[in-house]
Amino acid sequence: MLNKLFLISFYTFKEIFKSKVLLITLFIGIALMVITYVATEFTYGTPEKVALDFGLGMLSFSSLGISLFLGATLLPNEINSRTVYTVISRPVPRWVFILGKVLGLSAILFINVFILSVMTLACSSLLGGEINAMTILAIVFNCLESILLLLVVVFLSLFLNTTLSTVVSLFILILGHAIKETQTTTFVKERVYLNTLLEFYHMVLPGFYKLNLKDFVIYKQTLDGTYLLSSFAYGTFYSLFLLFMIIFIFNKKNLD
Amino acid sequence: MKVDGTYKKKGGNENQEISVAKLRLNHNDFIMLKFKEITKTFKTDLTAQAFKALDQVSFEIPEGSMVGFLGANGAGKTTSIKIIMDFIRADSGSMEFSPKLGSTRSEIFKKIGFLPERPYFYPNLTGREFLYFLGGLSELRKSEIEQNMTKWAPRFKIDHALNRPLKTYSKGMLQRIGFLSTILHDPEFVILDEPISGLDPIGRKELKDVIVEIHRAGKTVFFSSHIVSDIEEICDRVIFLQNGKLVYDGGVQALLDSHEKKDYLVKIMGHDFTPATKHHSLVKLAGNITTFLIHRNEKDELLKEILEKKADLIGLELIKPTLEEIFYHIRSN
Repeated sequence: MLNKLFLISFYTFKEIFKSKVLLITLFIGIALMVITYVATEFTYGTPEKVALDFGLGMLSFSSLGISLFLGATLLPNEINSRTVYTVISRPVPRWVFILGKVLGLSAILFINVFILSVMTLACSSLLGGEINAMTILAIVFNCLESILLLLVVVFLSLFLNTTLSTVVSLFILILGHAIKETQTTTFVKERVYLNTLLEFYHMVLPGFYKLNLKDFVIYKQTLDGTYLLSSFAYGTFYSLFLLFMIIFIFNKKNLD
Repeated sequence: MKVDGTYKKKGGNENQEISVAKLRLNHNDFIMLKFKEITKTFKTDLTAQAFKALDQVSFEIPEGSMVGFLGANGAGKTTSIKIIMDFIRADSGSMEFSPKLGSTRSEIFKKIGFLPERPYFYPNLTGREFLYFLGGLSELRKSEIEQNMTKWAPRFKIDHALNRPLKTYSKGMLQRIGFLSTILHDPEFVILDEPISGLDPIGRKELKDVIVEIHRAGKTVFFSSHIVSDIEEICDRVIFLQNGKLVYDGGVQALLDSHEKKDYLVKIMGHDFTPATKHHSLVKLAGNITTFLIHRNEKDELLKEILEKKADLIGLELIKPTLEEIFYHIRSN
């Protein structure tokens, strides 16, 4: 079974890789180098911070974009083009198919993150910045955030069409980042029902803000180990739960 | 799940089960697949009335047979095939595969070759990569895939394009590589959904030849089509669906015989001969040939008369309807 899982992941990766989606990564990487060069001319004293800020931002933007747009079409494309029939008419359980597809796309995400991370860290180092554990953790958490978003969009694509699943996932992503700040505003604090609603949202839908460490890295703020560990566990378990739900629903789904 | 040595599968609907049992037809043939009283309804949206795609449809596919699955567009052919392949679940009814295929889903599907209707496949993979992928999923070793590819690719005339991405393939080439992938693992039971639609006449002929070759090698072939002449040409059995209901399940020849007319076409050289028989009609006068239509019972009497009058008989032919004519006759009734 592991062999079939590997085959599906490998050929999913190959199919997406050949579609030249990683050209976006290359483009962002070149843009990163150009902006870093320009930044050295215009920033006083902190060009390495600009490089790191821009690099981590672009890394997050591109990996979330890949998750959102490729994730939304991952299953609908298979069903519309009937390629799913070609695969699951073989001795392949449905869970192996769906897990293989998600792993294949995740490999693309990892490569994107790896390339941009290396370029970001290289640019920052060349300008005198230091690579610390927090920077690496921010990159790892970004990977986790992208996978979580990928699973959200794949989950939604089981019920909604491509456009709707993309829009709803984007909405969940933005809310997932904004909810913490929103809860601290006086406007929400003064309205109990709104606060309860946001609390409920917080309990059910993913709190993406927990996986965003970029600001802590840029402004050199410290975070205690418990927060990092609990955030990592939150992202991991939420992802595993979504993966389990996707497999469960896909096993029951009529593929017509 | 495995129950008493038989593979039983219960899907979203508890009434549907796929099981393996030792089945025999009355004429002592093993049954490859038994499709029993399957009903399937679809609902386009919550407010719409449910549409019955299949209504208590039952049929059997004998082992080693070549069965044509006939019906107009929307008759329920693809829905039936999707239920057989476990892509969708029936509302009620059950299915049984031959124990020859195996006792678990994995064993059964390892011995089935399936080609979907109008396949597109992965556009960025090359033909070779695509075949390695599907061959691997069918648990073939690399050497076996290579060996079967070498055997079949020239037959399908795609050997020259195996290193090209599938997005550069024509529709006919995609159909051919799809067919190759279907038989790559040498399946016992081949299920084809509209395999020759969209092909040019030469492509159709070539593909039909391969289907016949596979059947002669002892494989069971079940293929759906709305092209009646193709089914008449190569199938020994036919299952005919109309509006989700089974209209006919039996031999092609038996169906043709049951609709055979009792008339003969008689061709006589010249225009002077007029038969004395009561039930005849003049069909046409073409060139120097007179053609009559005569009832079977009066054939001997007519032949006697021709001999007596020394008329020049150049043709005597029993009128047999084609499967296509029967198909349209059944549809119009």
